[in-house]
Amino acid sequence: MGAQAALSPDQILRDLANLWVTIGKQGQPETGMGVLRACSLNLIVVADESDDFQALGETVVALMPEHPARAITIRLSAAADAELQGRVFSQCWMPFGQRRQICCEQIEILASGETLEDALSLVAAVAAPDLPLVGWCRSARLVERPDFAKLFQAASRVVVDSARSADARSAVGRLAQLSAEGVPVGDLAWTRLTRWREMLSQSFQNRVRRERLSGTVQVGVVYGGTPAPVTARYMGAWLMESLRAAGVAAVLNLVPDGAAPQDELVRVELTTNRMRTELSYRDHRLTLDGDGIKHCAGLPVATDYSLMREELAIVGRDPVFEHALRAAAAL
Amino acid sequence: MARPHATVDSMAPGNPFDDPLRFERRVPECALVIFGASGDLNRRKLMPALYRLAYDRRLSAGFAVVGVSRTPMSDDQFRDKMRDAVQRFSEDTEFSPEVWDTFARDLYYAPGDIGDDAAYQRLGAKLADIETTRHTGGNVLFYLSTQPSQYAPAVHGLGGAQLGQGTGWRRLVVEKPFGHDLASARTLSDRLHEVFQEADVYRIDHYLGKETVQNILAFRFGNGIFEPLWNRRYVNHVQITAAESIGVEGRGAYYQESGALADMIQNHLLQVMATIAMEPSAGFHANAVRDERSKLLRSIRRMNREEILANTALGQYGPGRTGGSAVPGFRQEAGVDPHSKTETYAAATFFIDNWRWAGVPFYLRSGKRLPKRVTEIAIQFNPAPLAIFNGNAEGTAPNLLIVRIQPEEGISLKFLSKRPGSGMELRPVSMDFSYGSSFGERSPSAYETLLLDAIIGDATLYTRQDMVEASWAVVEPIQNAWRESRPDLPDYAAFSWGPQASDEMLARRGHVWRRP
Repeated sequence: MGAQAALSPDQILRDLANLWVTIGKQGQPETGMGVLRACSLNLIVVADESDDFQALGETVVALMPEHPARAITIRLSAAADAELQGRVFSQCWMPFGQRRQICCEQIEILASGETLEDALSLVAAVAAPDLPLVGWCRSARLVERPDFAKLFQAASRVVVDSARSADARSAVGRLAQLSAEGVPVGDLAWTRLTRWREMLSQSFQNRVRRERLSGTVQVGVVYGGTPAPVTARYMGAWLMESLRAAGVAAVLNLVPDGAAPQDELVRVELTTNRMRTELSYRDHRLTLDGDGIKHCAGLPVATDYSLMREELAIVGRDPVFEHALRAAAAL
Repeated sequence: MARPHATVDSMAPGNPFDDPLRFERRVPECALVIFGASGDLNRRKLMPALYRLAYDRRLSAGFAVVGVSRTPMSDDQFRDKMRDAVQRFSEDTEFSPEVWDTFARDLYYAPGDIGDDAAYQRLGAKLADIETTRHTGGNVLFYLSTQPSQYAPAVHGLGGAQLGQGTGWRRLVVEKPFGHDLASARTLSDRLHEVFQEADVYRIDHYLGKETVQNILAFRFGNGIFEPLWNRRYVNHVQITAAESIGVEGRGAYYQESGALADMIQNHLLQVMATIAMEPSAGFHANAVRDERSKLLRSIRRMNREEILANTALGQYGPGRTGGSAVPGFRQEAGVDPHSKTETYAAATFFIDNWRWAGVPFYLRSGKRLPKRVTEIAIQFNPAPLAIFNGNAEGTAPNLLIVRIQPEEGISLKFLSKRPGSGMELRPVSMDFSYGSSFGERSPSAYETLLLDAIIGDATLYTRQDMVEASWAVVEPIQNAWRESRPDLPDYAAFSWGPQASDEMLARRGHVWRRP
């Protein structure tokens, strides 16, 4: 379903209203129950035209059942003079075991670098009121723009993926700068570490093991290729920050492993006089080894869907990430 | 994603690597021993809930289930039976053979009679074996899904075989009813405490595990705008309804010993009332929340015999018709005494003697064979102090806040609005929040929530002994008064909204029951 719309906020909102009237009429004869309009946030996706829009569309659709949103996708054309264009359409699904369809609305806008500001001001007008506005910026070049903070000033959160950047160090530095300016950033490179961090954290649920984190902890983070990828920087920074906050002295060693694939996080080691814990990755498995405990868990390849699903569950600030980001930029 | 968790008393604080915003609540390894494993509750509720937790990968790798009941069965036969149950009773979860096969590997069965000491020795040996092979860490959660008369013998058997203690934690989940009056509730508690400490006893009230009931706390204490209105100054009265359209459905023999008052009001509805009316707790900690619930239950005014007769109503359904077919009355149901005087409908007016609620009636009702299945809380606010829009009766309709617990979970606010057109004609309108429209994800069932909480050691949604005793202290005088003075039964037709006495109970204060 879709309709070309002149790009004024009023026209888009009118098209959305008409869309729901149409959906409502279609839904009733099928189930006799109409449809349920679902919306708990605004998701603004900005992507370069070179991005895979089919895959992106599928990701957005997959996110809807858990995070129903008014999704607004801005496609950034490389042509400087591309006119703003737009259309509205809906995504509906039938939850398992239920008889009523749930529908979310989507708005797609084509813009150029020059008209992006207009597009984002349009977004501010058509976003569902009083609901969080989460930006997902998939364009690395856009993050570098000096007016990035202004572009997303209405957002309660802006998610980027610094792993898309060629220069990890500067990407982390840029995010730290934005964070310091008050932009509530999130980074999918950080999200990729959740399973690692969680497994390591679980191994220290045990009080006895925590007590062995005394003296000076040698923190080793081993990665493939050079320079250190964003994930290695984040991991090292997070460990150091966590230990510092707990009053434990620590020394960080970022160690390249020439045999490992480029940019892959290979291993994390925590060593003191009284214990050694190692968390390593191989063949889609994480293995924790320490103090006689050996535990394995699958680590499937993270997809945009799985990463954004986690990010969208966080509507406010993420203090653990913000501390790690600040520390990573200082490495 | 993780839900904000209550502080878990048994969890060591201070993990420097914790990130509660992102990490799932850690589910420890454990063995779950279900007594009454071939019974209805296990087949209909527990096993589908466990399967769903496995489906969502919420269970630890070191997890095992041991079913215990008298029926002789092998592990494989038990697995087949549980597979059938999951396929039949999982309401909103697709059946995945792969997930089932992985889950079923950790299902075991230990046949035995609850009164047989040797059965506990065999269970102990099985648990020791599972601890080694499945790495359950010596943690065991015992779940009593048996007849209530079996609770004390089962716990006695566990104690005799030294299964109440071990290398890991040991916890006990008990299903309602927790006694049939105050004295029996205390006796049962004493028997449980011979083996388990109170902190390790988890009395399950599945209403508290429902998402909407939990949401009452979020609604009240997470928002700033409602709590200032949440008192005697603005609230006129509260109605709590738990209606079922079904009859006793094969539970006639059990039900006629219990009745609607003990089966629903003593536990579920009083707990819901406590959640609606309690004071804010100092934090979202298990004991802090339960302290406030307990305090509220202890504040409910106990009635003397005359007050009970004026403020309660009971009923029993007679035959009726639905959809063109006849349905039997309660006394014609299988297993029910044809002269039974058990109530299938109970209603009561309660008052809370504290500063917040003094003088505000809380009307509770529950019944079987009512027109529809609905559970909801309706908070009726006082009318505007001056009715300046005269005209018709609807122009003075009260504001209502309705919390729908089932079905179609959500919250509605009814208020007056001007009807379009000339003149100032007011009509009641509804502002609705539906769970489905804001949270597309599926809500976990009450048993999923509560089982996981018990494994984690979070007792926030479980009932404590002092709460049980406070409820019985309120309900027992009603039981006694009703025993001495029963109306002629049956007194309401199936699929009507209950006996006339219930309507009269509200009419005495100028109120009427809402039609949900």
